[in-house]
Amino acid sequence: MQRPRVDSNLTSWLLAYPDTYEIGLPNQGLQILYELLNERPDATAERAYAPWIDLEAEMRAHRLPLFSVDTHRAAGEFDVIAFNLSAELVFTNVLNCIDLAGVPVRSAQRSDADPLIGAGGHCAFNPEPLADFVDFFVVGDGEEVVGEITDVVGAWKRSGKRAGTREGLLRDLAGIEGTYVPSMYEVSYDGAQLVEVTPRYPDVPPLVAKRTVADLADWPYPRRQLVPVTEVVHDRLSVEVFRGCTRGCRFCQAGMITRPVRERPAAQVREMVSAGLERSGYDEVSLMSLSTADYSGIAELVRDTVTAGAGGGAATDPSRISVSLPSLRVDAFTVDVAAQVSRARRTGLTFAPEAGSWRLRQIINKLITEEDLYSAVRSAYSQGWHRMKLYFLTGLPSEMDPDTEAIAHLAQSCARIGQEYTKRASVTVSLGGFVPKPHTPFQWFGQNPPDELARKVRLVRSALGRNRRVQLKWHDPAASTAEGIASRGDRRVGAAIEYVWRKGGTFQEWSERFDLTLWEEAMAACGLDLDWYVHRHRGEHEMLPWDHIGAGLHRDFLWQDWQDALAGHGLPDCRWTPCYDCGACTEYGIEHIVASPVAPNGGSQGTGQDLATGHVVPVELRPRQLAGAGAPAGGGA
Amino acid sequence: MRLRVRFSKTGKIRFIGHRDVARVAERAVRRVGLPVAYSEGFSPRMRMSFGLALPTGYESDGEYVELPLIDGAMLEANARDGVGSDVAAAGPAIVCRSGTHVPCGDEPDLDAPSYCTLAAALSEALPVGMEVSCAVLTDGSGQSLQAAVRTCGWRFDIVGLAEAAATKAVADLLAAGTVVTERVHKGETVSSDVRPSVELLQVVGSSNRGAELSAVLSATPRVVRPSELVPALAPEHDMGIARRTHQWTCGAAGRAEPAVPSRCAQRQKETLSG
Ligand code: SF4
Repeated sequence: MQRPRVDSNLTSWLLAYPDTYEIGLPNQGLQILYELLNERPDATAERAYAPWIDLEAEMRAHRLPLFSVDTHRAAGEFDVIAFNLSAELVFTNVLNCIDLAGVPVRSAQRSDADPLIGAGGHCAFNPEPLADFVDFFVVGDGEEVVGEITDVVGAWKRSGKRAGTREGLLRDLAGIEGTYVPSMYEVSYDGAQLVEVTPRYPDVPPLVAKRTVADLADWPYPRRQLVPVTEVVHDRLSVEVFRGCTRGCRFCQAGMITRPVRERPAAQVREMVSAGLERSGYDEVSLMSLSTADYSGIAELVRDTVTAGAGGGAATDPSRISVSLPSLRVDAFTVDVAAQVSRARRTGLTFAPEAGSWRLRQIINKLITEEDLYSAVRSAYSQGWHRMKLYFLTGLPSEMDPDTEAIAHLAQSCARIGQEYTKRASVTVSLGGFVPKPHTPFQWFGQNPPDELARKVRLVRSALGRNRRVQLKWHDPAASTAEGIASRGDRRVGAAIEYVWRKGGTFQEWSERFDLTLWEEAMAACGLDLDWYVHRHRGEHEMLPWDHIGAGLHRDFLWQDWQDALAGHGLPDCRWTPCYDCGACTEYGIEHIVASPVAPNGGSQGTGQDLATGHVVPVELRPRQLAGAGAPAGGGA
Repeated sequence: MRLRVRFSKTGKIRFIGHRDVARVAERAVRRVGLPVAYSEGFSPRMRMSFGLALPTGYESDGEYVELPLIDGAMLEANARDGVGSDVAAAGPAIVCRSGTHVPCGDEPDLDAPSYCTLAAALSEALPVGMEVSCAVLTDGSGQSLQAAVRTCGWRFDIVGLAEAAATKAVADLLAAGTVVTERVHKGETVSSDVRPSVELLQVVGSSNRGAELSAVLSATPRVVRPSELVPALAPEHDMGIARRTHQWTCGAAGRAEPAVPSRCAQRQKETLSG
């Protein structure tokens, strides 16, 4: 057990996850920082999670503040309260946690004695919707920057946090690379349109570039993964095998903002797996990354992992350790990998073709063919699986009804293949509404309205007919709309988020708590046009709210990739083919760290496809049309 | 052969439920590398059986789990190479990944050899508040613990109740022919007479919350909980913390415990962690 030290001389961090303990505990990012901070002689870190509504009611009734789970210290006693932002719909929970901590929700109202409110994680790449509530954001990998922030905050703490010095501290923080302090920037608009984000001081950088750790081998964390005594999601050992992904899926924010690919050395992975299993007592390990089947030598790694517990006494039996591989790419999931995984207890398998037709998969650059999918599915069924999940997005750029209906066709074919192996074979289709994300080629695309997403879901459902072998699950289209507001919103959207929170709209990630009418009401009350924020295509020269945040990607690379998408041109994976200078390495003087020089299954994207073959693109999405789509449609603050 | 492990559940850990206890115990077994048998089939699970379920929120000094060991996990004394030769007669050694454990020489018992170093290792692997007080080897014959346990011993306190008032309430309850109390079972309120289940009830002093009582309550046909007595004893008061002290079985020789805490397990634990 790890026991954080309680000592008022230490710079203290409360690492907060703005969702329940069950959801938040396994978060690896938070656990890495927790360990790194507690290893420092001058710092201490504890954790907090959002109390569920029943506990919150009790806490408020008894005037109990948010407190740490480690030592039950009140949140307000910490020097820094830092939130992990892994999804947009948790934003209202962030406000609620700040309020429960007894801290004013708006940064401008905080005094010198109040804790600093920080935030990091993928959603920090568009920090603007939370800009009025968060004192500083960390953009990119946190391993190094968390120490630099501790140095600066520690010096301030030791000087006594004198009245009137908070502004100076924030200015110092803004000078740390990868740290964004929203209050140090002036934002100006022309009507609805954002026109400028300017630093208020000369020493504040106009562009905040993300942090990237060059080599994962330097950071073998978490070394001592937290093992909860109650049940949580992902209740298993997790070992990150690589960070970053350059498959280049155009809808995928994670793949764009975490470049380049940095593989952990295989020997270190093996060491972390065997030490972690022995320390924790877990019998399951997840080899984590954005696309684990792409890890160099994955089949050998899985084989060794399954036998990781072996070599000792009679207690160890290789078949007792199960391996779960999240996010499998079908063109890299071979019989070999399937066979290695299936030696242990089989966990669920999820494949993500993302789009139903090859035409649309070219648009989104998910370059896997139907045959790739079928052979992966065949590998799995032949190795004894009988259930799998297929993940799709709908509402993608240029998606036409035949593309949507093709989802049903793919799923049915997979189920049919399964029938050849087992009568029990079944397939679950999980259908999500596409929400365009900042720093991706699709950041200019107007999201489908909820009724259109709902229509597409119905389309898939009726195309599936009465197939008992295929189950359809879908994400609430209304939730995608709210996610869209927060995803590409600017600073003005913060008022709407605060409105939703004040009306009791917490835990918006939970379907039983989600309510779109609350968001619509909030947007209207704040004089904001939901359509303009969510459903509108953006033009090439429009200033985007996150343009002053650098994810390493050149803006013209993203625009070109958007144009290539619409032309149906694929892009190879630069980890195995020449660099096309997206900016992620070239701007930082770093490069891929990949052990194998070739893709797992051959070909530049694993398929050997002719990537330049264009396809028919519907007229309404031609670039020509886009150019005229940038005019504001009203609204604004 | 089966290893019968007795453990406690005190402090904050009392709030985790029975399923969580099972998961925690499973991980502890794996951390120690104890060679416990698994079920057969597509999705093998570690085989373990617990004694009577403890209500969530209750503490305990007497929880049990039985772990069937796989064949070949034990080394008979004569097959051992210099291991524990001084206690060679006391029983087989148990080979774990983390080390080999021999029966304790302090309290030799040929029928149920006790493994104090193993008990200490399991304690180390369990969360704070769960301590193993003994681990004994049994031949695994006979009834399961769930079926064998007849009565449970309890300690509990009643918030804000004075000792004198408690003494009177206990006398009244014991004198009564029937004591009908209500409890919620599967979402419905059912009332039953708990008087026949009370084998022993007495006031033993006061805690910082109020009068402290000890009780022996029957476990068949169902486990009667101390909380069911409190409305009859002191309707205006709440129960504080309850702790199970014993699970009793009944044999030819009368009341007995499935395993008693070993004196040396605690000493061993101190050596290990020190
Ligand atoms: S800079 Fe080049 S090698 Fe690096 S991620 Fe971008 S395209 Fe790939």
